[in-house]
Amino acid sequence: MRIDKCWFCSSAIYPGHGITFVRNDATAFKFCRSKCHKNFKMKRNPRKVRWTKAYRKLAGKELAEDATFEMERRRNRPEKYDRELVKKTVQAVEKISGIRKKRQDRHHERRMARAKAGQVAQDKAALEQQIHLIRAPASLRAKAKDAPAKEKVKVAAEQRAGDAMQE
Amino acid sequence: MPTYNFKSIQVVPPAKDFIDIVLSKTQRQTPTVVHNGWQITRIRSFYMRKVKHTQTTWHDKLTQILDDFPKVEDIHPFYGDLLNVLYDRDHYKLALGQLNTARNLIDKLAQDYIRLVKYGDSLYRCKELKRAALGRMCTLMKKQDASLKYLEQVRQHMSRLPSIDPAGRSLLLCGYPNVGKSSLMNRLTRADVEVQPYAFTTKALYVGHLDYKYLRWQVLDTPGILDRPLEERNTIEMQSVTALAHLRASVLYLVDVSEQCGYTLAQQAALFHSIKPLFTGKPVIVVANKVDARPLDNLGPEEQALMQGMASEAARASGADPADCLMSMSALSETGIAEVKTAACERLLAHRVEAKVAGKRITDVLNRMHVALPKPRAGAAKPRPPVIPPGVAEARARRDAGEKRRTERDAQEEAGGAGVYSADMRKQYDLKDPAWRYDIMPEIFEGHNIADFVDPDIDAKLAELEREEEELAAAHDAEMAALAEGVEELGSDEEADLAAIRKKKKELVTAHRIRKAAAGNRPVMPAKHGSRGDKTVGRMRESLGALGIDTSAAEARLRSESRGRKRARSAARGGEGGDSEMADADGGAAGGAPAKKRVHSSKSRSMSRGRALSTAPPTPSSGLKDAAQRNKAVKMADRGQRLRNKAARAGEGDRVIQTKMPKHLFSGKRGMGKTDRR
Ligand SMILES: Nc1nc2c(ncn2[C@@H]2O[C@H](COP(=O)(O)OP(=O)(O)OP(=O)(O)O)[C@@H](O)[C@H]2O)c(=O)[nH]1
Ligand SMILES: [Mg+2]
Repeated sequence: MRIDKCWFCSSAIYPGHGITFVRNDATAFKFCRSKCHKNFKMKRNPRKVRWTKAYRKLAGKELAEDATFEMERRRNRPEKYDRELVKKTVQAVEKISGIRKKRQDRHHERRMARAKAGQVAQDKAALEQQIHLIRAPASLRAKAKDAPAKEKVKVAAEQRAGDAMQE
Repeated sequence: MPTYNFKSIQVVPPAKDFIDIVLSKTQRQTPTVVHNGWQITRIRSFYMRKVKHTQTTWHDKLTQILDDFPKVEDIHPFYGDLLNVLYDRDHYKLALGQLNTARNLIDKLAQDYIRLVKYGDSLYRCKELKRAALGRMCTLMKKQDASLKYLEQVRQHMSRLPSIDPAGRSLLLCGYPNVGKSSLMNRLTRADVEVQPYAFTTKALYVGHLDYKYLRWQVLDTPGILDRPLEERNTIEMQSVTALAHLRASVLYLVDVSEQCGYTLAQQAALFHSIKPLFTGKPVIVVANKVDARPLDNLGPEEQALMQGMASEAARASGADPADCLMSMSALSETGIAEVKTAACERLLAHRVEAKVAGKRITDVLNRMHVALPKPRAGAAKPRPPVIPPGVAEARARRDAGEKRRTERDAQEEAGGAGVYSADMRKQYDLKDPAWRYDIMPEIFEGHNIADFVDPDIDAKLAELEREEEELAAAHDAEMAALAEGVEELGSDEEADLAAIRKKKKELVTAHRIRKAAAGNRPVMPAKHGSRGDKTVGRMRESLGALGIDTSAAEARLRSESRGRKRARSAARGGEGGDSEMADADGGAAGGAPAKKRVHSSKSRSMSRGRALSTAPPTPSSGLKDAAQRNKAVKMADRGQRLRNKAARAGEGDRVIQTKMPKHLFSGKRGMGKTDRR
């Protein structure tokens, strides 16, 4: 009995769930639900389907490489049972998954912060480069030169902008 | 190592058949239809292909024959000489050489004719050239008829030659005719050679096989030999001589002691001595046959001496004991046959081994061989008794004391027998602590497989992970702080500007899309010439004002330049740039006459005739600058509309039969005369 990973979306498959396809070269493909199975039958590549774990990891949306993943690995060499070792292992499971959770959260936080910074930079660039759409360069120059004229022009422009928005 | 089997040589057809085969092959395998109307290149290649194909076929067939027949120089000298004896080497080589020459000639001839066909100027000429080429090839081959027939005979004979392995182990029976060679052959092997009481029953070499010491031996029966000089020997005898000369076999020289064969013992001894040179270096045994008719003891002293003389010569030739070289047997009563066979085979085996040891190849074998002779070690005096582990010794002691080991079967019988008892596997588990044997191992814990985490040095790894985690957390905090510092949020008025920019962009895109959709496939009118209805001063003020530009100066300038309706008429005449040239021309020709009457510059043209092209200025919204441009556009449109004869239908330039069946030629009753006259 073990919790398997879906071949397509990498979600956990608990015992009694999902479906397994065994190809004639004895490769077993496990699927968590019919959605994943159908996608497989359509020969879709999970790395190119945006909702799969494989895509998200490949695109940097989720933590992909980490020591905690290294510690949870399918082992093909059996260890002899040792009560002490199992005890330690069970305790370690909690610790490792806690650490992994924290790291994933940090990854997300970092990603969001970077996106925010990028958005602000973009906005600033847009303000810089496309201001001519709402204000003529001549008026901007005039504004830069003398303050009183600028005041007058600016009021008029803002009035116009406001009118436009109400339309 | 070539095998000598001449059965696979293909049939050599006589010249006539050969020609038929080749020509019909050409006929079948090349296209046969050609038309006069074809392009000359196509006709030429049609005939060139025929010539080339015929040549290739000849070439292939002749090459096949030349490859099939063995070259006298390349095969084993035994076969080489046999071919010479049977078919005359010169004749054989000549026949093959002639075929080779014919092949070369055909190749050259075809090359020449193909060159000629390449310049043939008509179908007829090409065809004649092809005919000539094929004809010459056939004539060439027709001349080879004799060679082909001879080769076919040779082939048939060769295919019946016994397949003798010249390098194999073989026993060779020889002697005068009628001495009982074939009888012995029949006894030794399963061969069925003809035995008759007259000389030269056997006229060719025969081969049979026997097994001795699990080896395969070939026995060769030869035709009888007469005692005469080599030049006088006939083909039949020469085969025996060839076999004797070239095969490294064990020779059994048969002597008919009963003299029933019609030759005296003295004659047989004389033959032995005359062919003696052929025996050197081979194991030879003189076999006295037909001892049933006349035992050896009955021989007179001279005859005994003759036999001993032969035996000692045989011993000298093969380097053996004279006593071993004389044996007696009877093919009729089958006495002594087994002894003769054993002796002959043993002698040959010994001889072959000697030859191998004497040869060069033995060193190769010796170099690869090593016989290990282990020596006792230095401290061999110390005894090395077998080691028995104490556990085993203990168990043995218990067993000897009569203690019986309790087996799983005992447990099964106690618990109710087979089918009721289920064996407990766990009690055999080999764990560090036997108390753990019945532990239940958890498999799944909080969505993880515990088995995936099992690792003997988990402690060290976990410690390492936790240490790493601390570092990562610190690094992360620092990075986040730096990021937050770097980002400068937009102010509220900047936000408003951004929103306005986005809104404006959206509007532009929407407007563009609407325009694009509405335009459909119609050409887009440049804005310069477009409808002017929306280009009003009010609109300008509105849109530029929105961008923050003061338009008052521009409005004032526009006002100053605009004209009232009244002045427009009087100013129209001088202001029109397009008509100024014509006006000048008018002025020069007619002085003070009103300009608007005269439009044409040429007088040859009637004034009453309507103009092909208008001289009126284009309407303002048409997008055209002036009358000239408009007229050009009209002309282009006309030209565009003109239909070209795209489908290549019949036109006025084509020859035409106006009426296919003129009425007067096809109607009315016929009187006298033919149908084509009326
Ligand atoms: N009495 C007696 N007659 C024999 C013996 N061996 C052969 N013959 C007879 O001798 C005659 C000739 O025997 P073949 O075996 O044909 O002799 P060959 O040497 O093969 O003769 P060619 O083929 O003509 O050279 C036959 O009639 C045999 O029956 C023998 O051991 N004793
Ligand atoms: Mg014979």
